[in-house]
Amino acid sequence: MKRRLFVASLSASGLVACGPVKDQLTTSLHPLLDSVQGLNHALIGTRGMAHLYKESDIDKIYRVNGLDTPSDTRYADAARDDWRGYRLPVVGLVDRPATYTLAELRAMPQVVEITRHDCVEGWSVIGKFGGVPLATVIAMAQPQHSARYVIFHCFDKDESGTEYYESLDLHQAAHPQTLLALDLNGKPIDPDHGAPVRLRIPTQLGYKSAKWVRQIELAAAFPANSNGGYWEDQGYEWYGGI
Amino acid sequence: MSEPHAGQRVYRHSITARVTHWLWALAMLVLFMSGLQIFNAAPYLDASDKSDPTHRVLSFEAHQAADGKQVGTTTIFGHTFTTTNVLGYTDDGQGGETERAFPGWITLPATQDLADGRTWHFFFGWVLVLSLMTYLIAGMVRKDLRELILRPSDLPKLLPMQLYYFRLRKEPPPHGTYNPLQKAAYTVVLFVFFPLIILTGLALSPGIDAITNPLVWVLGGRQFARTWHFVLMALFFGYFLTHMVLVFSTGAWNNIKSMFTGWYQLKDHDGVGI
Repeated sequence: MKRRLFVASLSASGLVACGPVKDQLTTSLHPLLDSVQGLNHALIGTRGMAHLYKESDIDKIYRVNGLDTPSDTRYADAARDDWRGYRLPVVGLVDRPATYTLAELRAMPQVVEITRHDCVEGWSVIGKFGGVPLATVIAMAQPQHSARYVIFHCFDKDESGTEYYESLDLHQAAHPQTLLALDLNGKPIDPDHGAPVRLRIPTQLGYKSAKWVRQIELAAAFPANSNGGYWEDQGYEWYGGI
Repeated sequence: MSEPHAGQRVYRHSITARVTHWLWALAMLVLFMSGLQIFNAAPYLDASDKSDPTHRVLSFEAHQAADGKQVGTTTIFGHTFTTTNVLGYTDDGQGGETERAFPGWITLPATQDLADGRTWHFFFGWVLVLSLMTYLIAGMVRKDLRELILRPSDLPKLLPMQLYYFRLRKEPPPHGTYNPLQKAAYTVVLFVFFPLIILTGLALSPGIDAITNPLVWVLGGRQFARTWHFVLMALFFGYFLTHMVLVFSTGAWNNIKSMFTGWYQLKDHDGVGI
């Protein structure tokens, strides 16, 4: 009996230690493992409010993460002459498509919130974001009934040329703390942190807060072969509240 | 009916207890391995709300030594230890070595992949929660849960039982299905460790933090919650080792078989028929 136990425990530990087996199992079971995402989204959702911090809680250095700051001519053109070349189109399934300059966005009622940025990697940083509630811009565009998602197309690209993008559903987009941020810690957002306009959604993980927003599109579904965002296409959850 | 006596076969574990035991054993194994995979993405723990190197309690790092060789280090409360090939600089899960906190042979998946680690973790988090709830509800309905809950009347028997384990006492104190030390361990694991490891895990979710700010606050903040989650993992690991030592030292086959068939053969150390 002892030998049988020994063999059983040895093969069990072999299974634990065997890298290729574990990686293969991960691939095979992915559809099953992914099945709880909808449940997590339904149960947790976007309720309540992210904790608001004091000025004294703000980190001196707001950690930079994600893709490299865009350096192409498209971004350089927008940045020219203190962002006078920047335009933010709101398009797609809307009755009133519009295009905003940075000055027009700054002229809208602004919200300032000091919140914690929780990165999917496990670290956190606290910063003060100022900007326009996303709900304001979406409401002005008058989404059509078929619109379900707000898709953010961004300036940044990875080494292979794939563009960063993100998406929220209309409920998440309407949360009062979800901002089109223009300021970080009292100053216009600098290029490394997503200038001139970035998304800031403190009720979800950092990768949902897309930097360098280039265009906002309302759509009935994600683009073809898309999981709803750059990191989502690499296997991360679309629902970033967990 | 005669008194229970050593050698007698008794039906000890209900079908629900057996199924849920193996389900959460599997869940804990997967959560342990995928949790270490997730930890690797930010291989440090802070006793603070936001990340703060001045409140760092544990970190793993790698650097190149003067002779050009890679060195892995582990720093606990400011004390640094060289842990090359095991922690900090270790198995990359693909046959090589790399800068990485926990080695590929212990993580799930083996290759560093935060997204896949999270996928495993969140699925088996549900397996754990549902099997635990099933066990507790069934145990309350069947009333066999009360057999393993520590009661005030068990307290005076804790020391004699410990002395028996240390072989400083010939016989265990008379007790019911489970001895007083077992009851203490099971009570703490079921009603302290399990709820806390689930709550500290939930506290890491920004969506849950928005629903219930006080949860993160009582834990000392988000990074502190991550630290507590890790500490509880370590406590569970300690419990698991103790569990294994006792399973294997008190009649391994009888113990393990009973968790499959439900039938257990009473032994002298069970404190019955004495």
